[in-house]
Amino acid sequence: MTAPLLKVDDVGKDYAKVEERGGRVRLVLDLLAGRGAARVFRALDGVSFELRRGESLGVIGENGAGKSTLLKIVAGVIEPTRGSVAVGGRVGALLELGSGFHPEYTGLANIDLAAALLGLTPREIDAKRDEIIAFADIGEHIHDPIKHYSSGMVVRLGFAIATALAPDVLVTDEVLAVGDESFQKKCIAWMERYLADGGTLLLCSHGMYHVQKLCTEALWLRDGCVERYGNAADVTQAYLAFHEEKSARARDPVAASVAAAAGIYAIQSLELSPAAGIAQGQDLRLSGEVYSPDGRAPNVLVGIVRADGTPIYGVATDMDGVAPHRIATDRYAFALTLPHMDLLPGKYIVRAHALDPEGVRLFDNVERTFVVTGATREMGLVRLAHRWNDPRSTTDGDAGPR
Amino acid sequence: MRTATATLSPPEAEPPVAVAAAQRDRALFVNFFTRELTTRYLGSVTGLAWALIHPLALLAVYHFVFTTVFRAGNFEGKSFLLFVAVALWPWLAAQEALVRATVSLAGYASLIRKVAFPHEIVVYASVGAALALQFAGYIVVLIALRAFGEPVHFEGLLIAAPLWIVLAIAVTGVSLLLSALQVFIRDVEHVLVPLLMIAMYLTPILYPLTLVPEGMRPWVAANPFGWLVGRLRDALIDGRIALQWSDAVALCVALALFFGGRWVFARLSPHFEDFL
Repeated sequence: MTAPLLKVDDVGKDYAKVEERGGRVRLVLDLLAGRGAARVFRALDGVSFELRRGESLGVIGENGAGKSTLLKIVAGVIEPTRGSVAVGGRVGALLELGSGFHPEYTGLANIDLAAALLGLTPREIDAKRDEIIAFADIGEHIHDPIKHYSSGMVVRLGFAIATALAPDVLVTDEVLAVGDESFQKKCIAWMERYLADGGTLLLCSHGMYHVQKLCTEALWLRDGCVERYGNAADVTQAYLAFHEEKSARARDPVAASVAAAAGIYAIQSLELSPAAGIAQGQDLRLSGEVYSPDGRAPNVLVGIVRADGTPIYGVATDMDGVAPHRIATDRYAFALTLPHMDLLPGKYIVRAHALDPEGVRLFDNVERTFVVTGATREMGLVRLAHRWNDPRSTTDGDAGPR
Repeated sequence: MRTATATLSPPEAEPPVAVAAAQRDRALFVNFFTRELTTRYLGSVTGLAWALIHPLALLAVYHFVFTTVFRAGNFEGKSFLLFVAVALWPWLAAQEALVRATVSLAGYASLIRKVAFPHEIVVYASVGAALALQFAGYIVVLIALRAFGEPVHFEGLLIAAPLWIVLAIAVTGVSLLLSALQVFIRDVEHVLVPLLMIAMYLTPILYPLTLVPEGMRPWVAANPFGWLVGRLRDALIDGRIALQWSDAVALCVALALFFGGRWVFARLSPHFEDFL
């Protein structure tokens, strides 16, 4: 096992909080005395991870979760308040649009500046300059000061410089979000080649697609702490599920006893099997009991929604011409199997509703959440049956839609 | 994060870590220094010519003011114009270096927020560019004065040039202090200029120490810049180039200012990123 190229150990970062003017004088005095700021905002706390050569880590999290702070610490721009960072190679950082450009310098002068910052000699940079200019592809603008550049051009030049200097670890944030389509493709292609050649990447992105495509590992930061760290597919799915759940409004099922007292049809229980969730494509079984105030057989409607409430599928007993099974004078049982359920990985909710025997009035509902696990980069909610055909073959009648 | 920056090294050569870091810092200084010179001073339309014309124009104005208006043609047998010029230039140089260096970090904010490098290099480049150009102007002025028949002792440069270096060390130290404070307390910049103005009149630059009333003289003489001015006049006007004990004291004071300023800077610089 090789030694990690990057080792972040229990890193934390506090930012000084200064409200009023006198506070700044006080802060300076505190810092000079080596006491540290009196009032701080804890931007990062207890973050640890390792990155070996050839690995790629995606850092995800909401705005203000500490992603940029973490990247800046790894890039050496700021010192951690706690913990340590050890880097065994050259770090190329591309942070917040155009890593360290001087706005007054021309594009060419900024190339030289970037080289000086990395400790390259003028001769070394001479060899790279043409390559950088070609990759950035911003034409005559290379002779203009950076402050006149569009954000897209800044990113082009920044990416060209960061990549041409062949870093051992490339640290980058939302650069892929800027730049036009063709440049994004160029960047992705470069990164894939870089990773294939054994490069190491630390990427910070809001695009789960990019993280899943480029990263083997992912680190989910929440309020400055590590919420989850591990396999990129697992972490991004958990992160997405968290967001879906967060945006869903809370629904309190009516308590069964209250429903019975009120004389309405009510779901008494709802069980899932397996209880916690399924692997993608597995069978899911539901069973439960319904209370009937007048002893007549109620209808049961079962629906599946994504954690944020997006409906996926719903079906009621009367639609399929079946009825719940009577187990007592005022109780009915139902059971439903969803075979080979091809929902894409994520968090989902099963809802069972009790309807009157006419199937008109909908009474209460009971919810159970479940998780679908799996490793896939497919998009959407559900896997549709599909087949890729050979476009050169004319005999395949199944090529067109039916 | 010293670990990360220290291990940055070109892949092919792999020189020792400290050497690579020093090499990089020097390359950065050269980059910033030439940039300061070309954009701030030489980037204007008249370019390099202005850098020469400016001290000469100033000298002409002083000549007009002191010899024509004040009619202070001679003082204790010395030319008053020479007497003022020798002292005023180092003061203006120090003043410009301090003022520029104090606000220098703000000009590099975009770099400081995104790249790991020793922030003090910005201050060194700023002070270095200001002093280098002013020293060149000083030489031009001395040559011009000599051409007009003023008794300039050029052998005095043997003392004057090292004195400028002592001045540069002290100014760099104070600049490190002020520039670091300026990041947190924006008032520094606004207080500095009037303070320097007051200090100039309290320093025997436009007048000799002997004109100061007896009772106040020790106070004025205690001014370290007054000492520097006196030594420069000794060397360049009177041609006395022997070393004194006070030279060693001055060097120690300058080094103390430098390391003191550097200590403050080192304490505050990790927090620049958050306040720039």
